[in-house]
Amino acid sequence: MDLSDRIAAFRETVEEWLRGIYHGMISHPAYELIEKEAEDQEDAFLLACFPDAFGIPSPVSYYTAELLPYLGAEFEQWERRMWDRGSVLERKGSQYHF
Amino acid sequence: MDRFVFFGGKGGVGKTTVSSAYAHKCAGAGLDTLLVSTDPAHSTADVFDQSFDDDPTPVDGYDSLEVMEIDPEEAVDEHLMGIKRQLGDQVSPAIVNEIDRQIELAHQTPGAHEAALFDRFIDVMRESDHDRVVFDTSPTGGTLRLLSLPEYLGGWIDRLLSKREASVDLYEKSAIGGREPRRTAVGDPIIARLRERKENFEFAGRTLREEATFYLVANPDELSIRETRRSVASLAERDLPVAGLVVNRLTPEPESHEEGRGARFLRDRVATERERVRELEETFDPPVVATIETRVAEVKGDLLDEVARELDIAVDLPA
Repeated sequence: MDLSDRIAAFRETVEEWLRGIYHGMISHPAYELIEKEAEDQEDAFLLACFPDAFGIPSPVSYYTAELLPYLGAEFEQWERRMWDRGSVLERKGSQYHF
Repeated sequence: MDRFVFFGGKGGVGKTTVSSAYAHKCAGAGLDTLLVSTDPAHSTADVFDQSFDDDPTPVDGYDSLEVMEIDPEEAVDEHLMGIKRQLGDQVSPAIVNEIDRQIELAHQTPGAHEAALFDRFIDVMRESDHDRVVFDTSPTGGTLRLLSLPEYLGGWIDRLLSKREASVDLYEKSAIGGREPRRTAVGDPIIARLRERKENFEFAGRTLREEATFYLVANPDELSIRETRRSVASLAERDLPVAGLVVNRLTPEPESHEEGRGARFLRDRVATERERVRELEETFDPPVVATIETRVAEVKGDLLDEVARELDIAVDLPA
């Protein structure tokens, strides 16, 4: 193995590490941030659809009920998210990796 | 003259009588007519001495008159069953029970009946191929709410739609780099469903504004006149102008030579009612299109024909 090969191998390792660090520090949190925001939007959507789940009567629950068959999985996730969210701060805070 | 004609007014003023008479008149003029009763306490069956149900049924003795009585209870049940059927196809059995409860709940809310009624309204307007559809509505409050639904629900659906689109859009964005997004806007059944609903409400709003005529029925008494005044105002507020007023239950005047307690009472009563009718004519924008005298017996059969003749509402075909 000559020197140029060793340098190439070294650079590959460094590049991989850099990609990993970039992914871990920049891009993954960015995806996660967008995904969290999407979840937040979805929470708002579900809350607007089913406020009666929290005891607020809804004038359109008759119509939103017909969305339920398609919302099965989301409904479950949503309920879980709603229950284990202590505060807005906690939810927003979990998006940053301190 | 519009294809859809609504008769509204305070409870007990004779909306069913007037709308039946009008339907009779239309059918007599050769129009293919459908009379729709939306009052949960249907009384069209009593006028025509025949029982009706949720489907248009031809009336005996008429060539071109059909009657249907909308049953919101049945519509609510159908809606419930439809959703449950879909639920079985779509959702894993583990969560079906949880969602089942939610659906049952939604069908018990006070708005459910109204929504179901409204859906049936739209169905009728969309599907009927009659020349004229006459709606005998429930007492004022309920009907007004019903007619304001398109705008109100349209706004609500808009909000839901934009939220859903925002979240789906974000999910798509978070999937950069060839990852599979959790949800996609293309083929999202929720967005499709909401759009369909929205389109339905827009259709209803448009049809009510452009193809419908409203008449109010009133009695010559203070309470009825006041309620009519409020109805005219709130319908105008929603861009649904009232085309005319029908004054029902006028007291017949006794012959001038009659002198007795009964005759004196009637004469006084007639004078008061004249005053009221004049008030209606002078202070209301919509014209009084008919004044109908009280009959000795219930208005049905031949009497319907008499009443129909007193109705000064044009029945010509829509242009």
